[in-house]
Amino acid sequence: MDRWFLIAATALAAAGGITGMLSVHQGTRSRWTVIWMIAAFAAQMGFLYVRGQARGACPLTGIGEIMAFLAWSLTLFYLAVGPAYRLSLLGVFTAPLVTIIQILALLPGVWDAHPIRIPATDPWRETHAAMSVLSYGALALAAVAGVMFLVLDRQLKDHHLQSGLFRNLPPVRELLKSVVRLLWIGVILLSIGVVAGFMMPRQGGTAHLIAACGVWIGYAVLLGVRQVRGLTGRKFAVVAVLLFVGSLSVFALV
Amino acid sequence: MELVCVGLNHRTAPVEVRERFAVPAGKLGASAKELLGIAGLEESVVLSTCNRTEFYIAGEQAEQAAVELRRRLSAEHGADSNPHWYEHHRIQAAKHLCRVVSGLDSMVLGETEIFGQAKDAYRQALDAGATSGTLNRVFQRAFGIGKRVRTDTRIQEGATSVAGAAVELAEKIFGKLAGCRVIVIGAGEMSRQTAQALLSRGASTVFVTNRSYDKAVLLAEEIGGRAVHFDEWAPVLAGVDVVISSTSAPHPVVLPHHIESVRRVRKFRPLFLIDIAVPRDIDPACGAIEEVYLYDIDTLEQLAGEARTRREKQIIECDRIIDEELSKLNLPGT
Repeated sequence: MDRWFLIAATALAAAGGITGMLSVHQGTRSRWTVIWMIAAFAAQMGFLYVRGQARGACPLTGIGEIMAFLAWSLTLFYLAVGPAYRLSLLGVFTAPLVTIIQILALLPGVWDAHPIRIPATDPWRETHAAMSVLSYGALALAAVAGVMFLVLDRQLKDHHLQSGLFRNLPPVRELLKSVVRLLWIGVILLSIGVVAGFMMPRQGGTAHLIAACGVWIGYAVLLGVRQVRGLTGRKFAVVAVLLFVGSLSVFALV
Repeated sequence: MELVCVGLNHRTAPVEVRERFAVPAGKLGASAKELLGIAGLEESVVLSTCNRTEFYIAGEQAEQAAVELRRRLSAEHGADSNPHWYEHHRIQAAKHLCRVVSGLDSMVLGETEIFGQAKDAYRQALDAGATSGTLNRVFQRAFGIGKRVRTDTRIQEGATSVAGAAVELAEKIFGKLAGCRVIVIGAGEMSRQTAQALLSRGASTVFVTNRSYDKAVLLAEEIGGRAVHFDEWAPVLAGVDVVISSTSAPHPVVLPHHIESVRRVRKFRPLFLIDIAVPRDIDPACGAIEEVYLYDIDTLEQLAGEARTRREKQIIECDRIIDEELSKLNLPGT
């Protein structure tokens, strides 16, 4: 049942991405993307509920569950931020990312078909895992908004203003504000995750926590520099995207 | 019941003819009511804008009434206007009204102001008791069709003037322009138009600078801005979002070092430079600065021209929608 929920969420997100891209291609607003994403979010909730019941804990055991949780978090932040800030196109960029993450979560070897019930849970461990993955949803969406900014910036600089994509992209200033807000949300959630990580009982080495601290410092420095000294939109967006990609790579290794 | 439209517009009559038949905005209802005295004419709406004066009339013998109407107009305002009048009858009159409210018959194709003007003309005629079943239904349907044309096509997409194109770009960079600060370098006509277009969309503060300080003061007073001496404009860059430059200087006035010197103070916020001078006022090298978006007159003209072409391509689709909608209706008088 949980697998079918995730497959449904993947299909719905893919449908949202495809309809959104078709709208953009035709130069019109992607009105249906948010509806598809709401449906995908409902299916993700179904997956998390069934999986959570099976685990008897927050379903964050194994890479497949972490990826599914990340996709849920990304969708959550898109639904919270996208329509509120009139960033309708954000869904067109987010939906494919959610689809890819969920497809990876469903791959043989990644997908755990027989989740084992966790006998005893530690609240710090659960807080650490949940907040960290949730923060990655916000940071991922900040990276998506950053990519959108870079596309718009390039089009404005080169005077390529006739594409449907250009017409649908939100204004430069709105995009930058969204990146900043999402980074702040991500850093705050990551801070809670890191603190909880220090409080939870240790198993094995500390490389994971060191990496988390490194990521936290990276984002904190980025926000601090922008706040105090200022940064061009392009540098800010590039660093936000690189930090996200880099931090994913680091966690894949440690 | 017959429906007739008698009118002249910017295509059929020069301004010196149009102005003779213009009806003041507040007297459209009274003028429509006055027409009811013509035999065979039972309803009327008078639409009068700077580009057209049109009489929409309905009655059992409206076609004959139209002849009498034109005779009266010639008698009152001169027979030399006769060649400039056009007449549309029945379904063609309804179609013409739909095209008018959709902006297809306007000087600036797809402009939206005419929709409000037509609504106001109809409301005044309705209030004056000059309309009844036929024109009420025709006008209400025309407004519905006009809305569909504007929603379902791209007839009003893109700015068709240099000032409009600059405003659209500013909105693409800053979103809502409320709070945006502007500096105008060179107090020419194009600068004034562009600054006013930005102000009309919410820009909060405009600084004006000019080699002749008196001219800067005059323009600043006209648009509600602040005049700045020409040797003091560079530091103002630190606090503005948009620069409009249109001086007659033979060499660039805004140079990269002017912007470089205020980047830190600006915290590298986006800066939109609009160069509408020939020869250009803003050194093209300024466009290489990361947070700067530089547009010159040629690019803005090109954008406006492309928007006009796109709108022209939409006419066929707009007419198709109008025909489709009118064919669904059994409008009285058509």
